[in-house]
Amino acid sequence: MARFLRKPDSSEVRLPGAEDAGDYKEGPARTESPARTEPPAGTAAPHGRAKVPGLGRPGREVLLWVSGLPVLVVLILAVLPLLTSSYALFNLMDQILILGVFAMSYDILLGYTGIVSFGHVLFFGTGAYTVAIILKHTGPGLGFLLLAVFGTVLISLVISLVIGYLSLRVKDVYYAMITLAFAELFAIIAEKWRGATNGADGFSFRIPHFLEDPILFYYFILVFAVLTVILVRRFIHSPTGRVLLSIRENEKRAEFLGYNVIRFKLISTLVAGVVAGLAGIAWALQQAFVSTGVMATDKTIDALLITTIGGSGTLYGAFIGSGLTNFASDRLSSLAEHYPLLQRWHLIFGLLYILIVLFFPGGILGFFRGKRAGKGARGYRTGLQKGQR
Amino acid sequence: MGMATFINLTVNGLSTGMMIFLLASGLSLIFGLMGVLNFAHGSLFMLGGYTGVVVFAHSGSFILALVSAMLVGVSVGWVVERLTVRRVYGNAIAQILITTGVMIVLNELVKAVFGPDIIATPVPPLLAGSWAIGSVILIKYRLFTLAVGLVVAVTVHLLLTKTRLGMVVRAGVENPEMVQALGINIRQVFSLVFAFGAALAALGGVMMAPAVGAVNPDMGLQNQMLAFIVVVIGGMGSFLGSALGSILVGLAGAYTAWFLPEASLAVNVLLMAVVLLLRPNGLFGMGGE
Repeated sequence: MARFLRKPDSSEVRLPGAEDAGDYKEGPARTESPARTEPPAGTAAPHGRAKVPGLGRPGREVLLWVSGLPVLVVLILAVLPLLTSSYALFNLMDQILILGVFAMSYDILLGYTGIVSFGHVLFFGTGAYTVAIILKHTGPGLGFLLLAVFGTVLISLVISLVIGYLSLRVKDVYYAMITLAFAELFAIIAEKWRGATNGADGFSFRIPHFLEDPILFYYFILVFAVLTVILVRRFIHSPTGRVLLSIRENEKRAEFLGYNVIRFKLISTLVAGVVAGLAGIAWALQQAFVSTGVMATDKTIDALLITTIGGSGTLYGAFIGSGLTNFASDRLSSLAEHYPLLQRWHLIFGLLYILIVLFFPGGILGFFRGKRAGKGARGYRTGLQKGQR
Repeated sequence: MGMATFINLTVNGLSTGMMIFLLASGLSLIFGLMGVLNFAHGSLFMLGGYTGVVVFAHSGSFILALVSAMLVGVSVGWVVERLTVRRVYGNAIAQILITTGVMIVLNELVKAVFGPDIIATPVPPLLAGSWAIGSVILIKYRLFTLAVGLVVAVTVHLLLTKTRLGMVVRAGVENPEMVQALGINIRQVFSLVFAFGAALAALGGVMMAPAVGAVNPDMGLQNQMLAFIVVVIGGMGSFLGSALGSILVGLAGAYTAWFLPEASLAVNVLLMAVVLLLRPNGLFGMGGE
């Protein structure tokens, strides 16, 4: 992991005009610090090691607001078990957090690099199957869980390297098409390789003892979500993450500045794949069961819906979207007994999603942030290559 | 594998290839012209299949089913282009996102109306059965789809090469800005191509339904994925490439299905990977960026 977090070669950073890339940040990028290691000369804030060069007082207030609120939310989530003992609620919260992490990993691609994947579920599914198969054959031990994590990371890296190498060299849209084909291939493998996966029927397995208590498991998932958020935030704000943003905003410019665009995109898919794989592990542990459902393209589409509705390019938007869609679908499925049309709750989210793509590309979080900062958070709509063929 | 089986598989593969070609050619032209990767294209294919099933069940006329499916394809395609794709013109990512949204909505609508399960689709009586020539058995319906596919392919090829509109479309694929600069409203041409591509997709769907014996809401995305493989192999924007790619994918699928049905998609994905390694822009792709 650390290898991918390192800053680009200093020669790349010092290229003339490299600091221009920072000017093309929009939305979330504006409220956060640029490359920490080497702030471009001339934009450093007056007093010492200021974290927010170039931002005035209002900008800093916004920063406080954005960094303060998540902490508050985590605190509320942490005391939740004191307020309620509804296992159904913990179950829902687990799913919201896990799918939030999955959607956040999707956001690395969609919101921070500007590429669309239709095969993100294959990392999720690989993680889920890896942990399920290992725990089923070895018994519920912590060591085997760690082995599964290690295996998932390794497999995710290999798969994203292969797919990325094949597709990213051509055009961005190829990534969408080729990932879909590979996801379908993985879904078929999961279905046909009955010896290992038991096909569409799936199989259940025993999770490590210390995770069997719902409240402990909830804390486990909460800690997992917080850790991944911190890691992904760290990655997004690393020099590599900054380069990804500049690629999202203007790929040609990033290329002219001397960045190896394909290599950076590849890093982005590697990180996104690994995080998605970890989310898959958590999902399998939560269900204590896997079936071909964890490889279904529907899950990729869910991640796309969650990320876009919550706000692409905002990181936390994934959790807002996940909370909203999972809570609503939970409510709607209980209502669906009386109103059959509500069984098709995806229809409602599909329409909401289209409206958001058309009118609020920053999603829910982008909408509110835009209001607060007094700027239109236009998300991916900004600066993408116009009329790309 | 005897000669008879080989011929049979070849006919089957070509017939499947033709139906994928109807989907892939529209996809490829739409992309070539405006850089729009239409993720709702498979949904139009599926919509065509369902329209065909409904019309055929009520009227008993397969011709009517074909025509009405194409009409539904044109109208839905036109509306989709007007309401969504047009609004995010020039933004490749937003176009993928918006057409995906259309795909979700169309699929959910179909599920809401017809239910999520498959609906069995009979082969029209006139085309049912098969001819036996010696030990070679030719399924009538497969030959029919092959013939229709060929007619459509030749017609579209003639439209593209012999008419003024076709010339504009080909020029637009090469260089849209230049065509625009020459005083042609490229967006209007694009709307036309989009609706026309939708009609071809719907035609593919209505023909596919009796061939596989059923329609289901997922048939759109599954065949769209094959169409993606086809355009990656053939090269985005190339009509000839789509034709060749479809035949390759259809045949590869049919031959592997005989030996090892599980591996038929794997072979196609492998084929795509090899093409991507050797010729990243596809067999007939037009240069890189």
